[in-house]
Amino acid sequence: MGEKEPKKDAELVELSKSDPESFGFLMERYESQLFHYIRRIGQLSKEDTEDILQEVFIKIYKNLNGYNESLKFSSWAYRIAHNHVIDHFRRANARPKTNSLEDEEWERLISSSVRIDKAIMDKDCIERIKSCIQELPMKYREILILRFIEEKDYEEIMDILKKPKGSVATLVSRGKEMLVRNMKEKNINCF
Amino acid sequence: MDDIVKSTIEKIRNEHISPEPRWKYLARKYFAWIVFAAIIFLGAASFSAAYYLVSGLDWDLYRFSHRSFLSFAIPLIPYFWILLIGAFLAIALADMRKTENGYRYGLGKMIIIAAGSLIAIGAVFSLIGFGGRLNSLVAKSFPYYGSHMMMTKETQWMQPDSGFLAGTIISVSSNGMTLVDLNSRRWDIATDSNTLVRPAVDVLQGEMIKVIGKKQDAGLFHANEIRPWSGMGMMSGQGGRNGYGGGIMNGQGMMRGGK
Repeated sequence: MGEKEPKKDAELVELSKSDPESFGFLMERYESQLFHYIRRIGQLSKEDTEDILQEVFIKIYKNLNGYNESLKFSSWAYRIAHNHVIDHFRRANARPKTNSLEDEEWERLISSSVRIDKAIMDKDCIERIKSCIQELPMKYREILILRFIEEKDYEEIMDILKKPKGSVATLVSRGKEMLVRNMKEKNINCF
Repeated sequence: MDDIVKSTIEKIRNEHISPEPRWKYLARKYFAWIVFAAIIFLGAASFSAAYYLVSGLDWDLYRFSHRSFLSFAIPLIPYFWILLIGAFLAIALADMRKTENGYRYGLGKMIIIAAGSLIAIGAVFSLIGFGGRLNSLVAKSFPYYGSHMMMTKETQWMQPDSGFLAGTIISVSSNGMTLVDLNSRRWDIATDSNTLVRPAVDVLQGEMIKVIGKKQDAGLFHANEIRPWSGMGMMSGQGGRNGYGGGIMNGQGMMRGGK
């Protein structure tokens, strides 16, 4: 007898509508991903990030009947998290920053956005590129995080941000161009 | 981290939080499509009104007014309706983008869907004569539209000073006819052997015709060409020629009327 197969997201969504315990399985499945995503796109303490994550889960639960099965559940959950974080900063009249990334995440973001060899990146170089990324407008920073840290493909980013695929590709490419331009303006040459 | 899962489940239970009913999402989803359909219908009505005006005009008259086709055509374009069609199309595209999966459609696909359905429904409206009725309604409700913005076949053919006249024949004689124009003014129309009478014209009392020629005096108009009220008159009509049918046939299969 084989092991019992884990339930699919769509099945758990159906069960969760009448049973919050089933929703617990969905939350367990995505809490780590969503926690890190929220932390990456906002500059929040661990406690604040957890508070926002709980609000996101409640929002997901309330909207379970609006889940469209043609989407990946993760894309739909990321979308709700994205909108909630944007609303949070709008309410607080503040601007999210990206310096809450871990060193390894920074390296991944930098090496994916600009053609640069990890081996020759020194600490000073990384710090200077970080400041260039932080100066990018929110829409470009977030799309670079989704693409290169969350490692989402264009289809998923399209579903998360509700933007056409062409616009997503344009934003990724413009974000990278803008970063290279910022680096040139600041005479950052780590290549 | 597991605390978040537990505390969220507790919160859901304690605060009796439950998923929003499905009908709310369905209503929102279908509302966006109903708005889209309504906008497309309005655009289609505008399309049929524009088509009604454009299809009623005689686009070959620039040859008689000694102007280039462009300078002749520009004042005849139904700008009012074209602006409305453009506005409805833009609103329909914006609304479509707001539908549940609207962001997944490329702009080209969206334009094809919106413009295609607008033209198809507009064609049906035109077939049932809605375009003409809409023009009359708008002209009646907004007199400025009727007098300044609506270029119709009637306005195009009621320019005797420019050589275009239309009306109903009230009598026919051997060297011409008398007609009452669209403003109820009486005209004596002089014809000669060079007057071209299109094959479909029935030169009979009570027939409506269009005349291309030259105003010679108050109430006197020399006809160079006579056409039926509807169309160019290239196809033969049913009625007799009443003296004009005996005219010579020119190389293009048209008849020269008069004595």
